[in-house]
Amino acid sequence: MKLRGLLSTAFAIAFGVIVLLGYFLEFQPFYGLRVVFVEWAVILAGFAVLVGLGNLVAVHIKKIRAREKGSAYGLLLVFSLLMTFLAGLAWGPDHPNMVLLFRTVQFPVEASLMALLTVSLAYASVRMLRRRLNLFSIVFLGTVLIILLGTASLPLLGDVPFVGDWVRPFVSQVIAGAGARGILIGVALGTLTTGLRVLIGADRPYGGK
Amino acid sequence: MTSMPSTEWIAGLVSFLLTVMVFSYLWKDNALFRLAVYLFVGVSAGYVGAVACRQVLLPRLILPLLEGDLLAAFPLLLGLALLGKLSRRTAALGNPSLALMVGVGTAVAIGGAVLGTLIPQVQATINNFELDPARSMAEQILDASTFLVGTVTTLVYFHYSARPGAQGPQRSKLVTLLGWVGQIFIAITFGVIFAGVYAAALTALIERLSSLRLFLGSLF
Repeated sequence: MKLRGLLSTAFAIAFGVIVLLGYFLEFQPFYGLRVVFVEWAVILAGFAVLVGLGNLVAVHIKKIRAREKGSAYGLLLVFSLLMTFLAGLAWGPDHPNMVLLFRTVQFPVEASLMALLTVSLAYASVRMLRRRLNLFSIVFLGTVLIILLGTASLPLLGDVPFVGDWVRPFVSQVIAGAGARGILIGVALGTLTTGLRVLIGADRPYGGK
Repeated sequence: MTSMPSTEWIAGLVSFLLTVMVFSYLWKDNALFRLAVYLFVGVSAGYVGAVACRQVLLPRLILPLLEGDLLAAFPLLLGLALLGKLSRRTAALGNPSLALMVGVGTAVAIGGAVLGTLIPQVQATINNFELDPARSMAEQILDASTFLVGTVTTLVYFHYSARPGAQGPQRSKLVTLLGWVGQIFIAITFGVIFAGVYAAALTALIERLSSLRLFLGSLF
């Protein structure tokens, strides 16, 4: 391993182990170091955001220079990004003008994209029924119907008896709660093993190997 | 229309146009939809960058440095090295900074997984069997047992180890059966999540349609 790779691995292991000890040992120096190191990581995450923005701008400028197809969209992206970034730097994100920009551009587009999901999700459900009809897809779509039926009153009919007051709470709070708990514990166990592999240097996702 | 302040009216018009441009995707993927999305990405990215500078780098790095906190010089050096990632030739300079972030992030994730998920979730599964005398005992036992069976079988479904057999590696029959039950629980869980997302999407659709109607109403 090259010296620079060794330095990166040493950094990851040393900082990671100290922060981890700070979580589990009630020993003041570790706790204090944990707070400082997390603070440094937050600062570096701020720099990482700038690196990401720089990369985004560089990719689109390259496309614009090469006059690739769709580069006009890239021009709009770069322009709006730089304008918003400079305005945000000058005024701060809480300034009324920035709030207005948020209300005018971000909120409507985000909400409209969310609204488009009603169509795409319904389409995906129909496709699933046509292409992969098995017990699990029927259980999945049956659950969706039960939850939606139990959530809102139907026109003319009102609340569906039994579904709204017994079936929906049992399905969503007990059965789905159990499944979600199993998934959560599985994710936590996966995080634990993957994290420990990083902390012993077996995985080096920071450019080592 | 006349009673509406001009800035508000222009904001309403832009909001109206962007909504229509995004909804045009229902017809097909077209230039108007792409314009709206690229504008959205640009504005969002710029906003995030401004937040990172004003609410992270300024108060946590620049101000302490100006106040003479020499400890802040270390993350500054690492941050500047991280900016080397912008060029292919200097990208390796940023690896130690990335390693620090990964190391600290991993430790925080492990701490969160153990203290925030594993212990509380296992504890909650056990606590379900502490019966409340005010509620029906049969109902509580049914709930707690379902929780226990659902949690265990869902975990078993993600258990992929297998023994070597005549026709290649095979899971034991018990694990296969429990995994099958777990799959039912997972299907129901995803169904509930899907229904929640669908309900949220419907709410957004109603809100957008209502805003379109309000803006059109303000014109006449």
